Amino acid sequence: MQDTAKARVLFVDDEPRILTTMRMLFRNRYELHFADSGQRALELLKTQPVDVIVSDQRMPGMTGIELLRTARELNPDAMRILLTGYSDLNAIIGSINEGEIFRFVSKPWANEDLTATVERAVKAARVSAAVTTSAAAESGDDPEAAVPPASMPGILVVDDDPQVPPRIRAVLGADCRVFGAASMDEAVSTLEREPIGVVISDTRVEDHPVVSLIGTLKQHRPELVSIILTERADAGSAIDLINQGQIYRFITKPIHDSQCRIAVSSALRQHQRLARDTGLHQRYEVESAPPPPGDAPVSGLLGRIRSLRGLVKRWV
Amino acid sequence: MGLKRVLPLLAAGAAIAALVFLAWRTQSVDNATHLQRLANLRKVDALDVALNRAVTQVGVSSMASIADERAATTRQLGDTLDALDRGALRLRGLSPDVDRALDRFLDTIESKFELAFDFEARNIQIHQRLIQGLDAVPALADTVQAASAPDVADTVSRQLGRLQSEITAHAVVQTPTNGPTILGLLDELSALSSQSEPMAEQMRRLRARCVEVMADKAELVSRMADFLNRPTAAQLLALERSYTAWHSRQVAVANQYRLWLAAYAAILLLGLMWLGIRLRRSYRDLDRANAELSHANEHLEEQVETRTRDLRKALDELRASQAQLIQSEKMASLGQMVAGVAHEINTPLGYARSNAQIVRDALGELRGLCAAHDRALAALTGEASDAAVAEAVATAQQLAQTVAADELGAELDNLLADTDHGLEQIAELVASLKDFSRVDRSRTDLFDVNAGIDAALKIAQNQLKHRIEVKRAYSPLPQIECSPSQLNQVFLNLITNAAQAIEGPGRIFVHTAAGADGVVIRILDTGSGIPEDVRARIFEPFFTTKPVGQGTGLGLSIVYRIVEDHGGGIEVRSVPGKGSEFCIRLPLRQARPATPPNPAQAAA
Repeated sequence: MQDTAKARVLFVDDEPRILTTMRMLFRNRYELHFADSGQRALELLKTQPVDVIVSDQRMPGMTGIELLRTARELNPDAMRILLTGYSDLNAIIGSINEGEIFRFVSKPWANEDLTATVERAVKAARVSAAVTTSAAAESGDDPEAAVPPASMPGILVVDDDPQVPPRIRAVLGADCRVFGAASMDEAVSTLEREPIGVVISDTRVEDHPVVSLIGTLKQHRPELVSIILTERADAGSAIDLINQGQIYRFITKPIHDSQCRIAVSSALRQHQRLARDTGLHQRYEVESAPPPPGDAPVSGLLGRIRSLRGLVKRWV
Repeated sequence: MGLKRVLPLLAAGAAIAALVFLAWRTQSVDNATHLQRLANLRKVDALDVALNRAVTQVGVSSMASIADERAATTRQLGDTLDALDRGALRLRGLSPDVDRALDRFLDTIESKFELAFDFEARNIQIHQRLIQGLDAVPALADTVQAASAPDVADTVSRQLGRLQSEITAHAVVQTPTNGPTILGLLDELSALSSQSEPMAEQMRRLRARCVEVMADKAELVSRMADFLNRPTAAQLLALERSYTAWHSRQVAVANQYRLWLAAYAAILLLGLMWLGIRLRRSYRDLDRANAELSHANEHLEEQVETRTRDLRKALDELRASQAQLIQSEKMASLGQMVAGVAHEINTPLGYARSNAQIVRDALGELRGLCAAHDRALAALTGEASDAAVAEAVATAQQLAQTVAADELGAELDNLLADTDHGLEQIAELVASLKDFSRVDRSRTDLFDVNAGIDAALKIAQNQLKHRIEVKRAYSPLPQIECSPSQLNQVFLNLITNAAQAIEGPGRIFVHTAAGADGVVIRILDTGSGIPEDVRARIFEPFFTTKPVGQGTGLGLSIVYRIVEDHGGGIEVRSVPGKGSEFCIRLPLRQARPATPPNPAQAAA
C-alpha cells in the first residue's frame, strides 16, 4: 500500500447531481469513482479495490444496505458510509448488523462534516489495511478462530429489567461469564472490577440514554464491543448509537436464543481482534458526542470511565 | 283437523256414551211396572178367591144372582190373566222360570174354569134333585106317621121331625155328625116300623129317598172340594215368587250397574278433578306469566331506555374509536408519505446546499485570484520595482493556474444549474404537497381529477421511481364537484396499493374518461392480483393481508367510504398473478350540498 497514492473513494447514488457535487467536493483530494446504481458499484468493486464506499440508501434495484453488505464480502477493508435522506428503522438495523457501517450521513449534509467523515474513514481504512496485511504476513492465524476459554473476557448486561441478565446467562451457557447491571453506576463499577469484553445494553437505562456512555467507553476503551438489545427501537437513537457509539449489533427484544448467541460470539471475536490489533481501533472511531445536556450523574460517570483507561493495558 | 284435536273429542264422546249406557242399564228396572204387575198378581189372587167363594156359594144355593156373579168374576179373572199373559204388563218372556210357573198356573186355572162350568151344570141338577128329595121327605114322613102304630106314633113323629130337620141341615150345611145321625134315625125308624108292614114299606121308601139325598149332597160336596182343592193359590204364589226372583235379579243387575256407574262416575270425577287441577295450574302459570309479562311491560320502556342509552353510548364510543382509527390510519399513511417526500426533498436539498457551499468556497478562491490580479495590476501600473512586479505577476499567474478560473467558472455554472434544478424540484414537490392537502381550499370545490392524479403520482413518486413505469391516458375531463383532499387521498391510496402489489419492476396504467354524468377513473397494475376470497372483503374495515403492525386494514375501507360519500362507486377486478384494476365512477355534481360526508374529517 503506497501512502503517497491517493485514497480511492467510491460514491454510489442514483441522482447524477449528487455525484457531480461529490466530484466537486472531493476533487483534488482522492481518487474518485462513481456509480449510479448498486449493480454498477459491485461491478466496479470486483476490478478496483477501494478504501471508502459512500452510498445512498434508496436506489432502484438495490438498496444501499444490500450494496454495503455485498461490498463487505467483496472488499472487507473498505469503510462503509451510508448517505440517506430518510431511513426506516429496519433499514438502519439492517445496515448495522449486516453492513457493519462506519457512519450514517443524513441528507442534506454539511460539506465539512461529510469531508471530515470521509477523511476519517480513509485514514482508518489505510491503517487497518496495513495492520491486516502485516498481521496476515506475521502469523497467518485465523482471525475467526475460537477464543481460548481461559482468557475469555466477561460480558456485561446493562438493563434495568432484572430478568434480562439471567436470561442472557441462560442463553449463553456456562462458558461465558455474564455480569448484570441495573444502572449505569453499577455498570461502571463492574467495568472497573472485571475484565469485560462485550457490553449488552438497552438504549435507555433508568431513563438515561446510553449513547454517551457507550460512546465514551468506545473512545477510551476501543476494544470494548457493544450490542444493543432493546424493545424501544427508534431510528434516531440507532443512528446516534452507530455514529457516536460504534455499536456492533442492534437486536430487538424479545430475545431469540440463537440470534443472541451468534451476536455475542461474533462480538467476542471482534473484541479479540480489536484487543490484538490496536491499529484496527480507528475503524471503529466514534464521533465526539455532544456533551450530555446538564446530565450530572452521567457526566460524572463519563469522568470515571476516562479513568478506566489505565486499567485497559493490564487486561489486554 | 289434526289428530290432537280429534282424540280428546273422541275420548269425551266415549266417556259420555259409557255414562249413558250405564245410566240406561240402571233404569232397566221400572218400579211402577213392577208394582202394577204385583197388583195384577194380587188381583188374580183376589179374583180366584172370589171365584172360590162364588163357587162355594153356588154349592149351597142355586140362586141365579150368584151364578151371574161367578160369571162376572170369571170374566174379570180371564181379562186379568190375559193381561199377565199378553198385555203391556205381561209376565211372559221375562225368564224361563216365570214362564214355567205361568204356564202351570194358567193350566190349573183353566181346568178350574172347566170344573166350575161342570160343577154349575151338575149343581143345578143335583140341587133340583136334592130339593125334590127334601120335598119328598115330609110327605113320606106323613105316610110313615100315618102308617105307624099308635104306641110308637109319638116316637116316630118325634123321630121323623128330627130326621126332617137333620136332612134339611145336611142338604144345606153338611156337618160331619149329621150324616151318621140321619142313618141312626133311619135305623131307629126302621126298627119302629118293623111291626107294621105299611109303615115298613113307607119307611123303606123314605130311607131310599134320604140315602139319595145324602149321596147327592156328598157328590156336591166332593165336587166342590175338588174345585176348591185346585192349587191355584199355591201356583200363583210360585208364579209371584219366581217373578219376584226375576225382579230381584233384575234389581241386582241394576244395582250392579249402579255400582259400576258410581265407580265410573267416581273415575270421571277424578279425571275431571285432575283436569281441573291441571287447568288451575295452567291458569296459575298463565297468571304468573301474565304477571311477569305485565311486570316486564311496565319495565320494558325503562329497559328499552336503558338499553338505548347503553347502545348509544357504545355507538358513540365506537364512532369515537373509529374516528380515532381512521385518524391514526391517516397519520400512518401521512407518516409514510412524509418519509417518501422527505427523501424526495432531502436529495435535491442535499446537493443544492452542498453546491452552494462549494460555490461559496470557490468564490473565495476566485476572490483570492482577483486580489492577486489586482495586486499584479497595481504593481504594473504603480511605482513598484521590476522584481516586485515580476513576483506579483508570477503569484497571480500561479494562482490562476491553480484555480483554473475558466474551468472553475464552467463547473460553477454547472453546479448552479444543478442547484436551480434541485430547488425547482423542491418547489414542485412543495406545490404538489400543497395541492394534495388542499389545506388552503374549501372542502367542496371544483376539481380537476387529472391534476389530482398527477399530484398523487408525484407524492408517490418515491415508491414508483425507477421501479414502476406509469402510463397515463387522460381524457379531457370536466371539473367535478367534490372534496379534493379526500379524492387525493383515494388516488394516493390506490396508487400506493398498486405499487405495493408489484414486486420488482412493473407498470401502472391510469385511465380517465368523461362519462355521461360523471367521470371514470381506472387504475390498473401488473401486480400480484387479489385472490377471489380476499377480493370480497378488501373494502371491509380492518381487513388486511399485511402482517400485524404493518397496516390498519382501513386504507381501502376509507377509499370506499369517500367514494360512496361522493355518490360514486368503486369496483375491483383482478386476475391473481396478472394484476388488478380499480374502477371509480364519480358524479359531476354532489346531491347533498357541501356537507362534509366523512366524520373523520371533523376530527381531522
